[in-house]
Amino acid sequence: MWHLGHTLLGKVGCLGGVCGACTVMARPSDQALPKTALACQTMVSEGMEISFLPSDASKKALALLPEAAPSRDTLFQYYPETRRCVACQACSSICPQEIDVMAGVRDVLMGDLPAVAERFDSCVMCGLCAAVCESTVRPHRVGLYARRLHGAFYPQTPSHLLDRIDEISAGRYQAEWSDLMEASSSDKGNV
Amino acid sequence: MGKMETSKKRVDDSRLSRKNEDMPRLSPEEKDALVHRYHPDYKDEAYAEIRIGANKGERTVHEVARLLEGESPFFEKSVPLSPTHQVDVLIVGGGGAGATAALAAKAAGASVLMSTKLRLGDSNTVMAEGGMQVAVAPEDSPVRHFVDSLKGGQMANDRTLLRTLVEEGPSVAKWLIDIGVLFDREGDGNLSLRAGGGSSLPRLLRCKDYTGLELMRVLKDCVLNEEINVLEFSPVLELLTDGEGTCTGAILKNLDTGKLIVVQAKTVILATGGIGRLHIQGFPTSNHYGATGDALSMSYRAGAVLTLQDTFQYHPTGSVFPEAMAGLLVTEAIRSAGAHLLNIHGERFVYELETRDAVASAVIRECQEGRGVETPAGRKGVWLDMPLVDLMNGEGTLKNRFPNMVRQFSRYEINIQKEPVLIYPTLHYQNGGVKINVDCESSIKNLFVAGEASGGIHGRNRLMGNSLLDIVVYGKRSGNAASRRAEEAAHGKLTLDHLKIFHEARKAAGVMSETISPLLFPDYVNKN
Ligand SMILES: Cc1cc2nc3c(=O)[nH]c(=O)nc-3n(C[C@H](O)[C@H](O)[C@H](O)COP(=O)(O)OP(=O)(O)OC[C@H]3O[C@@H](n4cnc5c(N)ncnc54)[C@H](O)[C@@H]3O)c2cc1C
Ligand code: SF4
Ligand code: SF4
Ligand code: FES
Repeated sequence: MWHLGHTLLGKVGCLGGVCGACTVMARPSDQALPKTALACQTMVSEGMEISFLPSDASKKALALLPEAAPSRDTLFQYYPETRRCVACQACSSICPQEIDVMAGVRDVLMGDLPAVAERFDSCVMCGLCAAVCESTVRPHRVGLYARRLHGAFYPQTPSHLLDRIDEISAGRYQAEWSDLMEASSSDKGNV
Repeated sequence: MGKMETSKKRVDDSRLSRKNEDMPRLSPEEKDALVHRYHPDYKDEAYAEIRIGANKGERTVHEVARLLEGESPFFEKSVPLSPTHQVDVLIVGGGGAGATAALAAKAAGASVLMSTKLRLGDSNTVMAEGGMQVAVAPEDSPVRHFVDSLKGGQMANDRTLLRTLVEEGPSVAKWLIDIGVLFDREGDGNLSLRAGGGSSLPRLLRCKDYTGLELMRVLKDCVLNEEINVLEFSPVLELLTDGEGTCTGAILKNLDTGKLIVVQAKTVILATGGIGRLHIQGFPTSNHYGATGDALSMSYRAGAVLTLQDTFQYHPTGSVFPEAMAGLLVTEAIRSAGAHLLNIHGERFVYELETRDAVASAVIRECQEGRGVETPAGRKGVWLDMPLVDLMNGEGTLKNRFPNMVRQFSRYEINIQKEPVLIYPTLHYQNGGVKINVDCESSIKNLFVAGEASGGIHGRNRLMGNSLLDIVVYGKRSGNAASRRAEEAAHGKLTLDHLKIFHEARKAAGVMSETISPLLFPDYVNKN
């Protein structure tokens, strides 16, 4: 594209298929209808029609994490419109990451946080699902909020991590550090 | 059958018999010799002496020297310096380090403004796949993490910075979990740990192969929740000083309107990331579109000291085929999971989990000595045999643990579960950067630097997973330190006086180039 003289400042980010900045409609010349894709992940073919789509413009709710473990209502508190999903499939068909977005919305409605989390793990937050939803659902936003809730209130504790933090604050490694910092302060330190 | 196909068949045919084969590790002497002979860091023609500034007399690659010695876009231009914004802390860069710094500064009570070149989150951070190193396992320790990193860094790491990195690792991991980052877990709730090159124990926390995406999604969400003011597509083009060596603000440019924005800030944090898009020595890169080393040239002109500007990381496994994927990273975690590297004859030639500098050097050796495979576009590479991962760890491992990688290649009709791919080193990371102390302050007062833009933590070669840790540990530290400083500092005078001093130095040293820096976007972009 650049070599053809395009500027493309606003529609490029990572160039690696993960930032969601470069959504396009692309139609190979032998097809009737275009498909959505990430431009940086699309092999251009002779005669292909390409048109860039706008970046995600959906509003994010100021959804802070709650103090206590979440319930299903925690999700609806910020994204009440999720309940209005009419299962039309539009979001699933447009997702350039091939996520079954509608199923993710259904998981939200069931309050199944682990399932939502899994469903949206490859979401690049391009916002196309929200842009096409007639019922004003913002699947990626409620999906991310559900993931964060699941992460922050994970059912089990990472005990090794917590133990290590305690050890460090109790000064367990002090002696080793003193020896080591001394030994390694010269470049030839034997570590 | 073409040469490429014949060679590929050799790889396919030998897969089963290679499965349990041992590959000897390099002795320290062998590794040294290999790296000195083949690593791009040791290619003399690629280097120039820096003629002016704080690091005068040291060497760096031509691409960086050109920018460091470049002239400011505002030199001898009359720019009205009345501030459009006045804040405590200006944060430059919307990647992981910038976002973390903004959150920390805001939490500490400072008023915060963020400037970013692209959108918030479009960065190298979002692309990280492999994971983040934290010494979590009971048999592991921060001390061990320190020793591994020091060895990996060829003993050139700043010891204090490195110690802080590894000691604060566990608590920042906890912080990330608390804000809802969903790391992979074991059945008992413990964090799942993976091995990485150069590490003596499995120490990588990860979210499948979307670790950076997950981190960035959550950090961005937090920044939006905090209603931090972010100016997108508005990069910083120049720093402002009081004329006496203290940083007092910056000039930004709104890329849409072309208008300049003058920010008066008590402290500035540069978190502009790396240099991949300079395509040093002609290498392809794994980096995002905005990785043009802007912090280096801007801070250097204002008088900052840089460190380790002569060393870059070439990730051993960048894709070279198809052409459209050239430079794209194949995560090291694939090799940790058992993938082999093979030359045109289908022979292994290096233990795959040596440090990156050694593996990259070995790949370059194979290609230089005629044992590489040529792609239709004329690039050279060697095979990375990924189907082995499934063979060793069970069917479906690639799909479950590396879904992004499987998808990326499948878009070009390559099934990595069945066939090997061609790789060659890709420009990946700036090992050095702006010299900082443990609070991220540079040699310029009130100018802080965090993340890949800073240097010293990783020595001459960063270990996999230490950068994501770096951006969170030092992102936080910079945000805290900058807001503490802002409490006691007043807004300073806004001048461009340092440009005159720099220009005089250029003249005295006979630097004639017309290069303007920072670069902002890669050379091949039509900027008009
Ligand atoms: C493909 C890939 C995979 C990686 N995998 C891993 C991994 O598994 N583990 C690991 O630890 N590390 C990994 N790394 C390295 C790591 O991701 C980066 O080093 C790290 O994320 C850098 O973070 P940062 O915040 O310093 O910079 P970035 O995340 O690059 O953010 C820099 C930001 O500054 C903006 N910017 C640039 N110039 C300006 C300017 N003039 N004005 C305003 N804004 C500007 C950019 O647009 C961007 O938003 C990987 C890197 C890449 C590219
Ligand atoms: S587009 Fe909206 S209404 Fe249709 S399935 Fe998706 S979320 Fe439901
Ligand atoms: S779920 Fe929505 S926001 Fe996420 S990648 Fe798919 S279309 Fe884009
Ligand atoms: S540029 Fe980031 S997904 Fe294409």
